[in-house]
Amino acid sequence: MNLATYARRNMFRRRGRTILTVLAVAVAVLIFATIRTTLAMWNAGVDEAASDRLATRHKISITMLLPKRYMDEVRATPGIAASTWASWFGAKDPLKRTPFFAGFAADHETWFSVMTEMKVEPAVLEEWKRTPNGAILGDILARTLQVKPGDRLVIQSDIFPGDWEFKVVGLYTPLKRTVDRNSMVFRWDYLNNDPRAEFFKDKIGWVMSRIDDPKASARLSREIDKKFDERDDQTITMSERAFSLSFMGAFSALLFVFFVVSIAILLIMTLILANTIAMSVRERTHEYGVLRAVGFKPGHIVGFIVGESVLISIVGGVVGVGLTLLFVNGLMGPAVEGMGMFPAFRAPSSVLLFAFALAAGLGMVAGIIPAIRASSLKVTDALRRID
Amino acid sequence: MVPVRYNIRSLFVRKLTTGATAIGIAMVVFVFAGALMAGEGIKRAMGNAGRDDIAIVLRDGSDAELSSSVKPEVLGMLRERPEVARVEGREGVIGEVVVIITAELADGSGGLSNVMIRGTPAGGIEFRPELKVVRGRAPKPGTNEVMVGRAISGRFKGIATGQSFDLRRNRPFQVVGVFEAAGSSYESEVWGDADVIATALGRSASVSSARIRLTSASQFPTFKASLEADKRLGVEVMRESDYLKKQSEQLQGFLVFMFVAIAVMFSVAAMIGAAITMNGAVANRTREIGTLRALGFSRRAILFSFVLEAIFLAALGGAVGTAFVLVLTRFQFPIMNFQTFSEIVIGFRATPTIMAVSLGFSMIMGLIGGLVPAIRAARVSPVEAMRG
Repeated sequence: MNLATYARRNMFRRRGRTILTVLAVAVAVLIFATIRTTLAMWNAGVDEAASDRLATRHKISITMLLPKRYMDEVRATPGIAASTWASWFGAKDPLKRTPFFAGFAADHETWFSVMTEMKVEPAVLEEWKRTPNGAILGDILARTLQVKPGDRLVIQSDIFPGDWEFKVVGLYTPLKRTVDRNSMVFRWDYLNNDPRAEFFKDKIGWVMSRIDDPKASARLSREIDKKFDERDDQTITMSERAFSLSFMGAFSALLFVFFVVSIAILLIMTLILANTIAMSVRERTHEYGVLRAVGFKPGHIVGFIVGESVLISIVGGVVGVGLTLLFVNGLMGPAVEGMGMFPAFRAPSSVLLFAFALAAGLGMVAGIIPAIRASSLKVTDALRRID
Repeated sequence: MVPVRYNIRSLFVRKLTTGATAIGIAMVVFVFAGALMAGEGIKRAMGNAGRDDIAIVLRDGSDAELSSSVKPEVLGMLRERPEVARVEGREGVIGEVVVIITAELADGSGGLSNVMIRGTPAGGIEFRPELKVVRGRAPKPGTNEVMVGRAISGRFKGIATGQSFDLRRNRPFQVVGVFEAAGSSYESEVWGDADVIATALGRSASVSSARIRLTSASQFPTFKASLEADKRLGVEVMRESDYLKKQSEQLQGFLVFMFVAIAVMFSVAAMIGAAITMNGAVANRTREIGTLRALGFSRRAILFSFVLEAIFLAALGGAVGTAFVLVLTRFQFPIMNFQTFSEIVIGFRATPTIMAVSLGFSMIMGLIGGLVPAIRAARVSPVEAMRG
């Protein structure tokens, strides 16, 4: 009889308790993996943001706009491969089918050649260039608003008054999982020529530029900002990645709380596991005395107990990973994606592996104290205990 | 009924097991109560400042001060309305300019965040009686002086007393004081003079919003109806209290939902923990239970006794959890409000209701976790148990 057999047999001596403990470990793994998946998805925006693309906007505030003529000066900077621009529209659905979606006016000549992760069929692009009020939507937004190419779409804005009428010319396909599928792009000139946008005439929200060499992004950013340093409207330029990173600070407190909570569930799991093992060990003290008496060493006893603890937690870990796949990838993910909060919400395999490894590792930790206590008992004392 | 002392002593005999289970439950209650306290903090931050007898006027469809603009002629017309409270020395109508600026965190991380700047006219500070300057002094009207809310004082580069920041090139604003506003979201803003800020930003004569003190809260419905009926004005009118609630409902809903969901998932683990412990207790005490039955205690008394013990166990954890969660009231955390694009700082607020609900939550966990083991205990046959 080896260690594994002994541990396995012991596991089923109190079937009800073992099943409950396995369940507790599984639930803990599920919670841990769910929280960590959320954190990973949150960070994905930063991790996958393009580092070969620069964003330029007003230095003082995201609500302030830049003169359109800045475009030519950005384009003239050596090292800039291509530039495009857009303005925030503050779009909202008059029928309130979705609480929030991104809507912006972009240059129809250049937008999709710089934002290459949003793929648009050449025919759709041609159609857009011919249609002044043409709009291109993400698939999730199109589904929510129940429109398909060729349809008329009426949108309102919290910046510009009244109804705005568009013609849906097509959808864009996300080539990266971080692309927002809940957004809408329409032509900037359509906005600029409307009298209701008079106070933003010939102004643009931000400039996006593709650069030849990603390593030059910091230097190029400084060069662009320097051009406008003496003007009334100063700019701030950063790589997309740096921008995402710099605004993560606003969520850092929340992310930290999530992190702490994910540690707390591991502690609870360890406590439950240790409790189960301690109870089993207490019941079997007499037995361990017998084992010692027939020649097993204290090390063997430690091995038996820790082995049982690890075995329970491994089974719990496997069940937990299964539950996570079912719950996060099957239920929560599609729901969250449908709301448009995260573009692709799936538990990364690294998170699943980590959760499983932690469960197994903490199984060992939980077994150690009861194991040492049982093994260090004198054989005669252990035998005397009959309870 | 089995004496309660029996249960309490039983719990204390098995210190390790009781302790481990109670600590587990304590952590669950901690998370649960913490979530409710954060929700209360947001409610306090956004709802507290709002008054029912103050109406806020925004451009129709703008939903928030940030994207709204109200023309000077509308402001002038509002001043003529009969519903405006006219008290000597106090403004009845104020027009304010609200903008957000990008500010760098002072912690040296290079992180950026959005800060709300409110330009208020002379009399705007007195318009809110809850507002108190706690350090330095209030800015002089018509100057480039500003004061900063207590919650964000020192959080950003240049936005602390004695420092200055730029709203535009060579347009520095001098921070001269720190203010409190009963924990409301004003404490996450910077306040200065409306005209000076509007000029610095190159804004036209329009303001972002108008606030009107009504002679009484009951005037509101007619006031709203008559203004919104006039399509030329193109305005929407809300009670200030409703407006502030609306500004945070998504954030509050998101946070409370998120953390209560986590706490409920946690509670599943804790209930399993309680069930394991109570199961063990029943298994180890079969002989005791048999004796109790032999002495004449009914099955129902045994059932009740063990359920009670489970509830005690959980309440012990709940008490520890609710006691420790009070530590959170010393902390506050900044968070981005998606609806206003700006950061607000939220504290954890404890109320007696939250404490009671949390303790009740722990006892329910004990009840559910202890039910099955208690049924097992009640089924013990006295003869077999005493035979051993």
